Amino acid sequence: MTVENEGGLLEAIRDRYLEKLSPEIFRSRLFWKTVEGLARSPLNRPQWKADRVSLTHFIRVTRDAYLGKAPVVWCNLLVPSELIHGLGCLPFYPEMAAAVTASAGLAPRFIDRAVEEGFSNDACSYHRCLLGCAVEGFLPKPDLLLSVNYPCDSAVLSFAFLSELYGVPHLEVDVPLPGREEQLPLLAGQLEEAASLMAGISGRRREGMMQGLAEAIELSNRALEYLHRVEEMRKREDCILDGRDAMGNLSVLAGCMGSEAGVEFYRLLAEELEERGCRGPQSLRLMWMHLKPWYAQSIFHILEKYGARLVCEEYTHATWEPMDPGDPFASLALKLESHFLVGPAERRAAHLARLAEEYRVDGAIHFNHWGCRQSCGGAPLVKKALQEKGVPVLIIDGDCVDQREYQEGQISTRLEAFLESLG
Amino acid sequence: MDEREMSWFCAYTPVELLAAAGFRPVRRFGYPHGLEAADTYLHPALCPYVRACLAEALNGDAPRHAVFVNCCDGMRRLHDAWGDLFPGSFSFLLDLPRNPGGRGREILKLEFHRLLRALEEYAGLTVEAEDLHRACRESSELRLSYIRAAEGKAGVARVELAQETQEYRFPLEVEENRGKEGGVPVLLTGNLLNPRGLVAFLERAGARVVWADLCNGDRPFTAESPVEGEDVPRMLESLAAHYLERHPCARMADGERRYRLLAERFKASGARGVIYASLKFCDSYLYDFPRLEVRLRREGIPLLRLESDYADGHAGQLLTRVEAFLEMIAGD
Repeated sequence: MTVENEGGLLEAIRDRYLEKLSPEIFRSRLFWKTVEGLARSPLNRPQWKADRVSLTHFIRVTRDAYLGKAPVVWCNLLVPSELIHGLGCLPFYPEMAAAVTASAGLAPRFIDRAVEEGFSNDACSYHRCLLGCAVEGFLPKPDLLLSVNYPCDSAVLSFAFLSELYGVPHLEVDVPLPGREEQLPLLAGQLEEAASLMAGISGRRREGMMQGLAEAIELSNRALEYLHRVEEMRKREDCILDGRDAMGNLSVLAGCMGSEAGVEFYRLLAEELEERGCRGPQSLRLMWMHLKPWYAQSIFHILEKYGARLVCEEYTHATWEPMDPGDPFASLALKLESHFLVGPAERRAAHLARLAEEYRVDGAIHFNHWGCRQSCGGAPLVKKALQEKGVPVLIIDGDCVDQREYQEGQISTRLEAFLESLG
Repeated sequence: MDEREMSWFCAYTPVELLAAAGFRPVRRFGYPHGLEAADTYLHPALCPYVRACLAEALNGDAPRHAVFVNCCDGMRRLHDAWGDLFPGSFSFLLDLPRNPGGRGREILKLEFHRLLRALEEYAGLTVEAEDLHRACRESSELRLSYIRAAEGKAGVARVELAQETQEYRFPLEVEENRGKEGGVPVLLTGNLLNPRGLVAFLERAGARVVWADLCNGDRPFTAESPVEGEDVPRMLESLAAHYLERHPCARMADGERRYRLLAERFKASGARGVIYASLKFCDSYLYDFPRLEVRLRREGIPLLRLESDYADGHAGQLLTRVEAFLEMIAGD
């Protein structure tokens, strides 16, 4: 779900159900009928037509996962969704579920539950939140857990716990470091193993598996073409799509590739951007790195006050080439391996420096999510790479999920000082 | 600074390859008391061990040539910072699969090949099967010599002996020190601990650490299979299997094996309880603890969890908890 855009909808669901919040509610058909009704109602006023597509898709997939209509495969962020859609399974991204929980203002309760279970406060709050949700029975039961060893260690490690909690297998895919061409067949082999396992669960024979994957990859390639069009539009002066709204599209990039919804989402977004053109006011052009706090906070009001806009974000861009539907495992292996979060931080820094150049940014903000060794850890190198390109960088320490850790005064002061310095 | 010295940090580093290529492998333990010096390059919420190692390197004490293992986010960040700060030095990031099975062994073998080629290129030589045989034999002798010397040793003496062996010093050269006698026998498990910090504190509090399941303790010496092969490729295959045979670090996928081995070791060692102590911000162990806790509870093994900042200046605050735990298990 593009969580920011659906804030009003989430509030409505929360107001209606908060008092009765229980794991059983999510397994009730009535609840999902209500959610679908609300999504269609005037309460849901998405900024972009495309958002309605992603919302409908995620509500359907999540509903089906809770109601057990097809095998459920839990994935971390970089698992290629084509693999899951192609096998007729339902991908569920618990890290995104944590973001949705945070945007509904409900994360602290689940974070505290994970800590009671023995997880440390020094661990990432996305994972503490999802672990708390899982322990309390709030998430749809998986049939398989599938993780890759990037972008961070936390997902692989929390999935190991979840595998025992649910009594289901956990497949960990080892993605090689960049430049290890000799290991790509081994990566493809691991993906094939995962696909065969899913085929077994969903009752598909090999022929059906290969056909499903070919179709998913064709859909992914079509979505990729539209995504490239979106990116070209966003590079134009004062494109009206702001990162504040676009950041949530990470969920589409991660979870909808290989589905009809992915194609439709980017097609509509490209067309609407082309129709509405670039009529935004002249403004400071900023890049956002890592993710934003999903709960209500004042960062975007401050940006607005200073006439600053986010013209690009770290995680919402295409990072792979079109794939070969006839060779799905080798193609998906290349897609995975080529991701800028795989390997040393210099690869990530190079990606961000390229974005800064292509999108002609005046400055960049790195949100240091507490407990994220990947993003906080790489921040000094990223800052250096951008400064060498003449891009000023602000690093903000905070927490994307736990609103109790948000230092309003300190963040506002630093952000305002930074924006003033950019003039 | 000795140009032949090669720093390494993770216990999965194949020191045999470094030695075969003519380098002297030295495990770095960093500056536990000066890790703030690394704050500009490494976020304070990162593993204190990697920060301590960078702090040491910044001070110019450590050899700058280094082999890193892609074992965790912390170590990857150390490699990032190191490469940026010391661009002229040899620096290699070796991948480590999480899966220990056939495919994992194949990945590790390919990585060993790649490291060996990089070392050969840097040193301007070719490593022959004979060189590798010699290095593996020496490593095996070191391991056996550690096991002999560690017999009956506990606590600080045991962990220091392990560290010295990892610095490629034969235990025979190490001053005879059996460690403090007496105390309540415990099994210590975790990532890497400062022998003069938390380990010494536990000893003072009355614990006798009879087995140190740490990567700077007994764990690196637990693989028994010999490294064999007629040529370099076959030896690398055997070496990969050897490394994956060790009692696994919590970052590996074979958690089940780790817990089983730990329980077996607990029974064999005569320990009365387990102390789980890990460095702050080490995700592999932060996420491992709840799983381990369930198993030990099921087995009826008493467990105490502690945390270390590597310098352990505040370990005294843990005294009441540790004493209460020791009292409880001693009375069983």
